Amino acid sequence: MIVLRLGWRNLWRNPRRSLITISAVGCGYAILIVLIGLTVGIAGQMLKNGTGLLMGDLQLHHSGYLPERSLYDTIGSDEDSALEGVLHQLSLYPQLVGRSPRVYGFGLLSTGEHSAGARLMGVDPQVEVRVSSFLSGLQAGALDDSVERSLLLGDVLARELEATIGSQVAIVTQAADGSLGNDLFLVSGILHTGLSYLDRSLAVLYLEDLQELLALGPDEVHEIAVRLEDPMDADGFAAQLNASEELPANISARSWGELAPQLKDYVSLAQGMYGFIILIIGLFTAMGVLNTMMMAVFERSREIGLVLALGMRPLLIVSAILLESLFLGILGLIGGFGLGAWGMSYLTTQGLDLSRWMGELSMLGTRIDPVLKASWGWDYVLWSALGLLLATLLAAFFPAVKAARLNPVQALSAPVEG
Amino acid sequence: MSRIGSGSKGIWILLFLMGGSIGSLSAQVDSPQLSPAEIIDKVDQMLRGDSSQGRVEMAVVTRRWKRNVMMEIWSEGTDKALIKVLQPKKEAGMTTLKVGSDMWNYLPKIDRTIRIPTSMMMASWMGSHFTNDDLVKESRLIRDYDIEIVYEGDREGVEVYEFLLTPHPKAPVVWGKMLYQVRKKDLMPIRAEYYDENEELKRTLTFSEYREMGGRLVPTKSRMVPQDKPEEYTEMIYHELRFDIPIPQGTFSLSSLRR
Repeated sequence: MIVLRLGWRNLWRNPRRSLITISAVGCGYAILIVLIGLTVGIAGQMLKNGTGLLMGDLQLHHSGYLPERSLYDTIGSDEDSALEGVLHQLSLYPQLVGRSPRVYGFGLLSTGEHSAGARLMGVDPQVEVRVSSFLSGLQAGALDDSVERSLLLGDVLARELEATIGSQVAIVTQAADGSLGNDLFLVSGILHTGLSYLDRSLAVLYLEDLQELLALGPDEVHEIAVRLEDPMDADGFAAQLNASEELPANISARSWGELAPQLKDYVSLAQGMYGFIILIIGLFTAMGVLNTMMMAVFERSREIGLVLALGMRPLLIVSAILLESLFLGILGLIGGFGLGAWGMSYLTTQGLDLSRWMGELSMLGTRIDPVLKASWGWDYVLWSALGLLLATLLAAFFPAVKAARLNPVQALSAPVEG
Repeated sequence: MSRIGSGSKGIWILLFLMGGSIGSLSAQVDSPQLSPAEIIDKVDQMLRGDSSQGRVEMAVVTRRWKRNVMMEIWSEGTDKALIKVLQPKKEAGMTTLKVGSDMWNYLPKIDRTIRIPTSMMMASWMGSHFTNDDLVKESRLIRDYDIEIVYEGDREGVEVYEFLLTPHPKAPVVWGKMLYQVRKKDLMPIRAEYYDENEELKRTLTFSEYREMGGRLVPTKSRMVPQDKPEEYTEMIYHELRFDIPIPQGTFSLSSLRR
């Protein structure tokens, strides 16, 4: 116990120096918290936009569907993979937030004057909104079940067709039976996702309408998109589904990491960056602490020599110095946490508004919000605290050992500190 | 890269099926001093009559489905054609109009006429193994290709010419080369092979059932087989053909699509 007291008291023998060191540790930690917060925030936002807008956390397809996306490779095309059964099986998993069956096609859209090719997507809006957000970000209107054959268009596509809400659009497509599927649709909403390839090419229809247009059965879909509580569970859940006996063998599940490897790479890169940031800032903090403790030992070499001469065990001296440094670190961390938390409280709510400089921006096929919002990465905050503590201890270790090895005679003959 | 169009061949095939001034052909067969390009030009020209009208059955067989479409076809010169679906009922009245390099589809179910945009030119025409572009491209072989005879003689008991067609550097065609086999005695086409830029065979068109129709000898059946799906094909079978008949004014106009 005496060591504890010794360490604590020693800390305050030069309060100014200690405070400076404490604030260095604190500032380092606060910067770490904010940087980690921003990185976690951006990665989270990218993941959320990347998977949240349209993709979902995982997707189920007929095993032959990707990468060609053939019209014929549907879930529900044979008895083994009945759609109802698959949907029911999925809903039994508690970690699942939503699942949405989808049909895709490619068609020619025409308003008479203007024609354009478009990617057709058939969804049930009721369940789709639980999986993705693109339907909630409508610029105007919505899929409307009170009219026959309602249609949503991407805003750029709508402009190209010179279609507005209320316009009639003819869709022509190659149907599954070889015939030319064609029908008239009523534009009842305009989509804006911020991703130009979608805004330029996406046309959203009711699931049943698209199935009819493509001459597909009502139980045939190309994809089931799934939303999970935590996107980080997607890999495990996909593996679980693929191994499951309950799901038909010709259906395969893919996580967002498999569907969008570039997104996965980015998230891993961001995680790698936390480690790097912690390392750099830890290094600087450690140097500050090293300097302080060297000074302390140097100043006290006379008294250390004295207590050594009086028979104090060197181990005790080492412990006292390490404890002093530990107190330094802990106080710094507490202060730093306060400072960082204060910064985070701003960055998590207000965010860093970069819209003045970047406007609408997308990266890796994902929209980036111009307002960067931080979010707490608690594990990283904890790990960096431990890292900083370790750094301060390591920095104190060298001076401590040096102190314990002092030759009492030499130390005592050194000049008295001023 | 911008070699749009699945080849000038398509319209050739189609217009060929639509008939042409084939009758004048036999007279020219015995002119051995013709150059390869001249022979091909004759074949090419005989495929394009002043006008023609006919009924053709299109049979499309794919891995997933098989269907037969009966169509009536009118053509005038090299650049005007109207193709109207008679059967099946579900699609009866669907009409394709081609004028020059433009193409429209009329869809009776929704009573709309849709112009096919450039971006859709490579899409399948009426679910067949022909593309929209095959119908639209009306370039002449001798204009777009260098032509040489690579074989002359007996093939399976028939005296034939075999032509190698290599596109001019800037010709707007997608094919890297074409092999074309023509019967020597009457210049009836036997087969055409289409190769991509990597000299890989992409599809083969074979002609058969040469018969008198509309007073001329024509191959009444042709079959297009894509190389990557050898079990699939599209067959065009002529049931009726008339040549150089007067075609009413306004047949090749948008307003005639609905009729």
